[in-house]
Amino acid sequence: MSIGEQLFQMTEWLRTTWVVDFSLWVSETRPCQWLQEHFIAIPSFQSIHILAIAMLFGSTLMVNLRILGFSGGGHSVAETFRRFMPWMWSSLAALVVTGIILLVSEPVRNMVNPFFWIKMSTLLVTFLVTVWFQFAVSQRLVGWERSTQGHGTIRVTAGALIVLWCLVMAGGRWIAYAPV
Amino acid sequence: MLQSLWRALENSGLATSIASGEYAFPLIETFHVIAVVTVFGTIAIMDLRLLGLTSPKWSITSVSQDTLRLTWGAFGLAVITGLLMFVSKATTYMVNPYFLWKMGLIALAGINMGILHLTTWKTIGSWNNGLAIPAAAKLSGALSLAFWIIVIFCGRFIGFTLGVYQPPL
Repeated sequence: MSIGEQLFQMTEWLRTTWVVDFSLWVSETRPCQWLQEHFIAIPSFQSIHILAIAMLFGSTLMVNLRILGFSGGGHSVAETFRRFMPWMWSSLAALVVTGIILLVSEPVRNMVNPFFWIKMSTLLVTFLVTVWFQFAVSQRLVGWERSTQGHGTIRVTAGALIVLWCLVMAGGRWIAYAPV
Repeated sequence: MLQSLWRALENSGLATSIASGEYAFPLIETFHVIAVVTVFGTIAIMDLRLLGLTSPKWSITSVSQDTLRLTWGAFGLAVITGLLMFVSKATTYMVNPYFLWKMGLIALAGINMGILHLTTWKTIGSWNNGLAIPAAAKLSGALSLAFWIIVIFCGRFIGFTLGVYQPPL
């Protein structure tokens, strides 16, 4: 079976679940109707959503590339980590808020959609890996330059997180291209 | 005359294979989004520092060094993927006001950066550290942020208005 067919099958399966009733119920709510009635609302919130992922991804690149030794040589890993982590988390908050607004704006198109659930699963994995990664890095900030213990796993994770965020973005873009 | 150029581009082998391929356009678009996200994410780090809003302990040139290669690399990818999308619907994009605004604003962002580097940046040695940043440099950072934010909005609005603005037959 081709990927297209598998995705189509997944959509068919989603149609048999509670997701249909739930998304139809959201469609009837005031916030959804308001967003639908204002033409500029959806593209505007999508733009803010993109600005938020840009801030998150930029901060992630700064920290992870520093850990990988590709950039930021002028500052220690600890300095880089402390500088960009708050940006990363506040961008994530903005991303979740605009994401929820976007979900409400087109509930059926989003939820009865295999790419949406692929994106959410990837996002959950990325989030959990990020939490572990930040914990692991913060535990080793003192003496990062002295001891390289555990750095191998951290470096691999630093690279993997960059790829994971790209997959989350790809998932978001493909929501518009679900086979129906 | 220009209209026939856009039409010729759109009818080229490359353009028709992108337009007719099942996955070509969304795949190119996906790389475009990742590239644009990287461009804005790294430019914002630079602009916020130029505005004096972030980490005075980081010299401006060190922030520039950390971000510049990423910004240009991602910008290159955005241009390539953008051109590929453009040729596949050249006549439609050329009558879309959001597309034209987007191109104009990218040009303005480039000019803004060029002016900064040819003027105020020459004295960077005296304001590289700390927050005593010349007004001209702050203005440049603010304009850059504004231009790029509007570029992203325009880019998103293009996708919603392709059917609204149709090229002449």
